[in-house]
Amino acid sequence: MIAPTQSQQRPGAGQLFSAIPGAGILLILMLALFTIANPRFVSQTNLVNVGLQASLLLMIALPMTLIILTEGLDLSAGALLGLSGVIVAEALLAGWSVFAACAMAFAISTAFGALNGVLIAYLTLPAFVVTLGTMGLMQGIALVMTNGDPVGGFTPAIETFYRSQLWIFPMPIVVAVALYAALWLLLYRTRLGNYVIAIGGNKDALRLAGIRANLVHLAVYVLGSAIVGLSAVLLIGRTNSAHPTVGIGMEFEAIAAVVLGGTSFEKGQGWLFGAVLGALAITVLRNGLNILSVDSSLQVVCIGILLILALLIDRARKHYSRQAA
Amino acid sequence: MRTTRPRRCVLAAIICSTLSSPAAWADGEVIAAFTKNQVDPHFEGVRAGVAQMAQRMNATVKNYTPTKPNNITEGMSQLEDVGVTKPNLMLFMPIDAKAQLPTIKRLIDSGLPIINYNDRGGDAPFLSFIGQDDYKLGYDIAKTLFDHLGGKGNVVILEGVKGSTTGDERKRGFDAAAKDYPNIKILASQPTNFQRLLGMQTMENLIQQFSTIDGVIAAADASALGAIEALNAAGRKNVAVVSINGVPEAVEAVKAGSLLAIAEFDGFKIGCVATAVGLNAIRGQSAPKQVTIPGAIITKANYAPWLIPYKDRTCPTPDAYIAK
Amino acid sequence: MTIPATLDTRSPSLSPDAVALLGRLILIVLIAGALTAVDPGFASVSNLLNMLRQASLLFLVASGLTLVIIGGGLDLSVGSNLTLSACLAAAAIKTTGNPWYGVAVAVTSGTLIGFTNGLMINRLRLPPFLATFGMLWVAQGAAYWFMAGQTIYGMPMSFRYFGTGFFLGVPLPIWITLVVCVVCSIILHRTTFGREAYFMGANQTAALLSGIAVERRRLLLYVLSGLTAGIAALVYLARLNAAEPGIGEPLLLPAIAAVLVGGTSLFGGSGNIVGTVLGAILLTIIVNGLNLLNVAATWHPFVNGAVVLIAILADFIVSRRRSESG
Repeated sequence: MIAPTQSQQRPGAGQLFSAIPGAGILLILMLALFTIANPRFVSQTNLVNVGLQASLLLMIALPMTLIILTEGLDLSAGALLGLSGVIVAEALLAGWSVFAACAMAFAISTAFGALNGVLIAYLTLPAFVVTLGTMGLMQGIALVMTNGDPVGGFTPAIETFYRSQLWIFPMPIVVAVALYAALWLLLYRTRLGNYVIAIGGNKDALRLAGIRANLVHLAVYVLGSAIVGLSAVLLIGRTNSAHPTVGIGMEFEAIAAVVLGGTSFEKGQGWLFGAVLGALAITVLRNGLNILSVDSSLQVVCIGILLILALLIDRARKHYSRQAA
Repeated sequence: MRTTRPRRCVLAAIICSTLSSPAAWADGEVIAAFTKNQVDPHFEGVRAGVAQMAQRMNATVKNYTPTKPNNITEGMSQLEDVGVTKPNLMLFMPIDAKAQLPTIKRLIDSGLPIINYNDRGGDAPFLSFIGQDDYKLGYDIAKTLFDHLGGKGNVVILEGVKGSTTGDERKRGFDAAAKDYPNIKILASQPTNFQRLLGMQTMENLIQQFSTIDGVIAAADASALGAIEALNAAGRKNVAVVSINGVPEAVEAVKAGSLLAIAEFDGFKIGCVATAVGLNAIRGQSAPKQVTIPGAIITKANYAPWLIPYKDRTCPTPDAYIAK
Repeated sequence: MTIPATLDTRSPSLSPDAVALLGRLILIVLIAGALTAVDPGFASVSNLLNMLRQASLLFLVASGLTLVIIGGGLDLSVGSNLTLSACLAAAAIKTTGNPWYGVAVAVTSGTLIGFTNGLMINRLRLPPFLATFGMLWVAQGAAYWFMAGQTIYGMPMSFRYFGTGFFLGVPLPIWITLVVCVVCSIILHRTTFGREAYFMGANQTAALLSGIAVERRRLLLYVLSGLTAGIAALVYLARLNAAEPGIGEPLLLPAIAAVLVGGTSLFGGSGNIVGTVLGAILLTIIVNGLNLLNVAATWHPFVNGAVVLIAILADFIVSRRRSESG
């Protein structure tokens, strides 16, 4: 499993190539198999679809990577997606401008992120439990606000934005790429990023070095929730309506994507690009199985097997490289 | 175990997809059939009807069902993905009509013929709509219950999925009937997502809240069956329960007397007719704007036809329902 | 293998845990009292038994999970384990007409799934979260495939007794809960295995170094978790009188919540099974209360989330105060 060392050098290109994680290998395999099975798999329409679907997953998986790097977890991301979308939709329906509605969603997302962060970073409560609790809170608020119904009928500008393109690239893909670039810079090119990675390895050491470790730790959750909250705007563009329960379960898929890509729960080992590989692997699998119209019950089994296979490959490679060393 | 589909899925799917060719208008068309979940037996009826009619008319079917029941994200992804496979015909029921309408419109614009069945999909140029009048189903079954109660009593409603056309329309029917019976008191109306466990738990909670419940209206059989379990467990006797659907298990309950009556919402018939209308349309015949299958009220007096398992039933043809 | 005397192997049934349990018990009694004041019907025997039966169903799913978490692991597959086991058991009962085949199938299926989890974590060294998460998908998919979109219904009366029957006036699920609770308690506090489980959860490295066969203990923990999921599957099947591929999915998070609200720490090494019983009762009684007060069902997730947060905050404050007072 490729992982930046604790001294946090950016992985060199050679190092990357020679150590493609299990998800990458499986991704290439699946691409090949699906294309052979049905050449329409690599048609432009389908590749765009895969890109769009993976982008949405990435917008949760990328901030989740940062959180997992700090040995944490955010189970509330899916619920926040739903809540944030509902807030934007209701605000728009109440006559607010798009900017104001998004700002409101941003504010509420940040507030919940801060709640998570304070409980996890300062009170050192386990992330699983805290975010399980806040997930219930957020889901509850979304349900009560909407009485369980989807909210639609707001300005079509959001959907237009979702369907718009920058040159030939659909907007969600552009946003996902931009998000990746921004987080990559943050993580690997700033001191803050170094601190984030260090928290996962040894938070006490960071604190002893004089850094406000708790604040950095809090910031990770705030940042994560802010990103998820803003992603909800794109998501409601896809269906032109806000569903309070749209995100339920997506946090687990995002966690699966992050881990598939090689980020480990312990000791803050991992890399950002792994989340991209993982998200693509999951999306390609689902898309490919849809194209082959494989029975959906078997789709579910395949996702589980994919996960286990990828992890096995990583184990094997680690074992092998340790032997070779 | 009993199964209606081949199990060597991946291999079969690969073979199927390589055999299907896009422009075969005569026979051997590929139908993409969408259903909402794999847990409600109603949709198994739909799939059984589609399969039987397709086989009779020499076409093949590929089923698209979300892995998480009624999951809109998966539903959207499957909708986006199906366009790539270029089926000859699509049978579509929305999980959320408003959300999926733009994508459906795009698919129709790209040349894919789409039949809307089961739930109304909204204002798009579908070839036809095959379904039933959910409002009437709701109204009729509620009326049956209220009449049975002699026009007065305490009643609770177990709704379907909020935001689904079927659920909302049936609720409208329930409410309209309640207005016509001033001495019927609706104590509560809660969503149970057409599901059994939720129906049972909601009923348990309602039993706790209200000491006298005379009747229960459920938007689907599964919820009603769960509610009956709850009523039995709490020792509440003489509560009349009605529901909508007509799946075999519920019909057996009618036979046994634990379910008063069911308004027939027959997935099998809907699947058959939708497939027939769709295939006829792409083979050159004209398609009626809609085919509304009337729903009978299944009671202890007439339940027999609905106990026949799907594989032994015969598909009705659209002619039975289209007024000439 | 002797455990060095210098390492702490106290079976943690001493004051701190007893206080936590007592606190929860008092809270439950208080809430019950308040609800009775609002509606005297709440305190009727039939209603209390009904509520305890609901809590029992929740507890049974969470029971084995508690053991795994105490041992430092996590089992996300309990929900889909229950689903698959229930579906297989229902099929066995329907085809053979004999409920005991169903029991055997459910127990075997549950145990096998737990065994596979343990195997993946031990031999393949997969992190518990991921191994059991992968198993969640595989078991759920297997259930969907096996059921082929249908439900299996109409269990024989003799079997339904486990879910709907009464013994000495008390519903069967409550008796089953008592039995499971007692057995798990004995395992945790009266066997070496239990002590080692606590040790493993508290500090896996130290446990390894002190000679505990961590891998074998871990395997047994996951087997137990799977086994209790199988038992829970039988009770659910008996209660619902039908098996559907969707029953287990919504059970996972409430089960985890029951364990956590009961005071067991996710880090491992502390907590006990009685806590999970109380946690299940607490969550159930609160939802019951909401219904009684005519609060819309849409509020339930919010309240459940709040309960989880309040529970861990309360434990945190109490433990802080205790460590400050020395």
